[in-house]
Amino acid sequence: MKTLLIAALAGVSMLAINSAQAVERGGTLTFARYDDSNLVDPVYADRNPDIWMVTNLYDTLLRTKADGKTIVPGLASGYEVSADGKTISITLRDGIKFSDGSPITAADVKFSLERAVNPDFGPWSGLLGSVESITETKKGVTLSMKNPDPTIISILATFNTAIVSKAAFEAAPGANDQEKATALFAPGTPVSGPFTLKDRTRGSTMTFSANPHYWRQGEDGKPLPYLDEVSFVVIPDDATRILKLQAGEVNGAEFVPFSRVAELKADPAINMELYPSTRIIYSPINSRETRADGSPNPMATKEARQALNYAINKDALVQLITHGTGKSMTSPLMASTTQLAHDGGPLYPYDPAKAKELAKSSGLEGAEITLTTLAGSSDDATLFAAIQQMWGAIGVNVKVEQVDNPTRGAKNRSGEFDVHTYGWVNDVNDPAQVAGWLGYYPTRKAVGTGWNNAEFNALFETSNTEIDPEKRSEQYKRMQEIYADAAPLLFLYETPFAVALSANVNGYLQTPLGNNEFSSAWIAK
Amino acid sequence: MSSLSYLVSRLLQIIPTFLLVMVVIFLLVRMLPGDPAIAMADAKATEAQLELIRQKLGLNEPLVMQFFYFVKNTLSGDMGTSILLKAPVLEVILERIPVTAFLTIYAVCLSILIAGPLAFVAALNKNGMLDIAIRSGFQVGLSTPVFYIGLLLLTFLAASLRLFPVGGYGTTFLQHLHHLMLPALTVALYTSAIIMRNLRASVIEVLDAEYVQFARSKGLSRGVILGRHVLRNALISTVTLLGLSIGNLMSGTLVTETVFAVPGLGRLMLEAIFARDYPLIQGLTLTFAVMVSLVFLFTDMVQAWLDPRLRLS
Repeated sequence: MKTLLIAALAGVSMLAINSAQAVERGGTLTFARYDDSNLVDPVYADRNPDIWMVTNLYDTLLRTKADGKTIVPGLASGYEVSADGKTISITLRDGIKFSDGSPITAADVKFSLERAVNPDFGPWSGLLGSVESITETKKGVTLSMKNPDPTIISILATFNTAIVSKAAFEAAPGANDQEKATALFAPGTPVSGPFTLKDRTRGSTMTFSANPHYWRQGEDGKPLPYLDEVSFVVIPDDATRILKLQAGEVNGAEFVPFSRVAELKADPAINMELYPSTRIIYSPINSRETRADGSPNPMATKEARQALNYAINKDALVQLITHGTGKSMTSPLMASTTQLAHDGGPLYPYDPAKAKELAKSSGLEGAEITLTTLAGSSDDATLFAAIQQMWGAIGVNVKVEQVDNPTRGAKNRSGEFDVHTYGWVNDVNDPAQVAGWLGYYPTRKAVGTGWNNAEFNALFETSNTEIDPEKRSEQYKRMQEIYADAAPLLFLYETPFAVALSANVNGYLQTPLGNNEFSSAWIAK
Repeated sequence: MSSLSYLVSRLLQIIPTFLLVMVVIFLLVRMLPGDPAIAMADAKATEAQLELIRQKLGLNEPLVMQFFYFVKNTLSGDMGTSILLKAPVLEVILERIPVTAFLTIYAVCLSILIAGPLAFVAALNKNGMLDIAIRSGFQVGLSTPVFYIGLLLLTFLAASLRLFPVGGYGTTFLQHLHHLMLPALTVALYTSAIIMRNLRASVIEVLDAEYVQFARSKGLSRGVILGRHVLRNALISTVTLLGLSIGNLMSGTLVTETVFAVPGLGRLMLEAIFARDYPLIQGLTLTFAVMVSLVFLFTDMVQAWLDPRLRLS
């Protein structure tokens, strides 16, 4: 028995040694991106290719784990929220440094957060609207709040509150904050994140090298990152990105079309990853009493919109468009990976009989509906063909109108549409952003649908100052019930992020928010 | 007319062309549906944020004023700041010009290298098996879409056989040659088909011309006849066609540069259009107009050199 125990212990310790040895350091990972970053500054980054790179260069006070929900300490070792929710004391980690070796101080944190709060800068200041003032303390900073804010902790783990160097910023050339931020997207800028920018050719390549003063430790007890460098090449064409990976010219390619996933999964040289995401695909339905041309709107009643939802076979769409990689939406307001997502099972399961009945009773039968799709999108073309057939079965004629992205955006804002395709990925680790976007009327007319529900609006406002997590969760549950019932959208499906990597790449992660994380990535030699 | 005054008069003719291009492009860009502020700020922006962007870009000004600023700034060398890239348009364009110029010249050279010899072989074997084979081959080249040829070349020559890199541009001259081989070939296959057809017809026509018959009767060698009489005369119309094709070639870069991940003006144009980046679209169109005008001018000069009668007319 004793021998057995020793053998078992030996085995376990061998395993432990093996896993510690498993990580290999060094080398360059070459990654093919669909678009280039134009400005990687926490405050001004406004496009996904910019936003998703920020946290490689700049660390935040708090961090989110890979699940996208759990918040852990980052540059801050901890925080404390006062009982009334109006004071947040943040303690900085000891000995943290920028990439040039200078210490990251409370002054840098105050400076960075004040930039993030300033409504004159960047598109994200609204997320910090509750912050009244920021003061330096001996060990960190204290945030004084105008009102309690349940989202603030998540925001401190979000890219826009990442910490920049005050000294570097002030020394940068430029007449105003934005010009300085632009000037700082240059090699040699001191940064707080795992990588520093080594060089960059606009629209073509960008190289990150390891920050020698980064504070996080790897599995082998030495500082992260494992890689020496990450080299990005910009390849807008999907097929070319994949070919480049297959030819061994790059180690990773993002945004793999779902139609190629099965093929790449079968290739032993490639590790086809599907990362859980907060991406949802839905179609806003014009819910106003009249259409933009003044004619009565057949989709104005919830019964009509419910009929349209019941008539769609979402499982078929998941197979047709995502090639089985997606799944039906279970929360009407957000992806299932989002905090406070209420899982009510698949929304509006396919029920043609019920759809027909509702179409008849709501007067939708015989109506003609225009579906606005993105020109050139094969997904949208498939979606149109499927919907035309499915709605035809309940007596609704579907016309297609193909436009490009800015036109679709303009139509959404002006309300000149019946139903159009759309998608969403959370930028923030809190459901307030997506709930505000999809359902809250005052900001954007409930994603342009014109749906306006007093109870929903009131609940949303209350939930934004509710610091009791249980009460907030209840409010969100009710909001999701109201929204699902009113159906201002076609609730279609959620999809993962598809990234193909060479088989020897380990530890890379695309978070549910889409951020590309290279800090724990390594290449087996 | 001397060569110099011919050059000057041709240069002066370009000025009204540019003015017209500026008016047309200014109006066309603004006729595109969709708001650049929305394209720039992403759908998630609030109305206030959009308003701020419109103000910053001067989009709230009357069209006439916008046009006035556009012309005034362009003439002083300021093409504005790209909405998408947040950098001066001129700087961005100057960065990319060498790439597209390299690709275009490379494609032209390949087109000539492919079309020239084959056209002569086909013409000298008029209606023979070789002629039919060459012509059919080029017919396929003409009728296949450029992006499809590109993908085929990529799949076989780059991904499977690994003779060439899949995409990119490289850093040294030799790397450029290596990286741009497939995109240049893609465009050249199409252009060489057009040139081949024309050159073959001209060679056949010139071969039957009286002065060639006369040269033959004088007992000149076949090489001298082909080199001195046939080639020079057959080239006149082909040079015109080649000049016109370079305009096409540049528009072809829109597709090839995207498929082959070449960071040139064509790909930039596509990105600019999708982003409704007015300043960048305007700057790029003007650049293309300048480049095409220069090519036409150069074509005219070559033609005048080949055919002295043109200089006198």
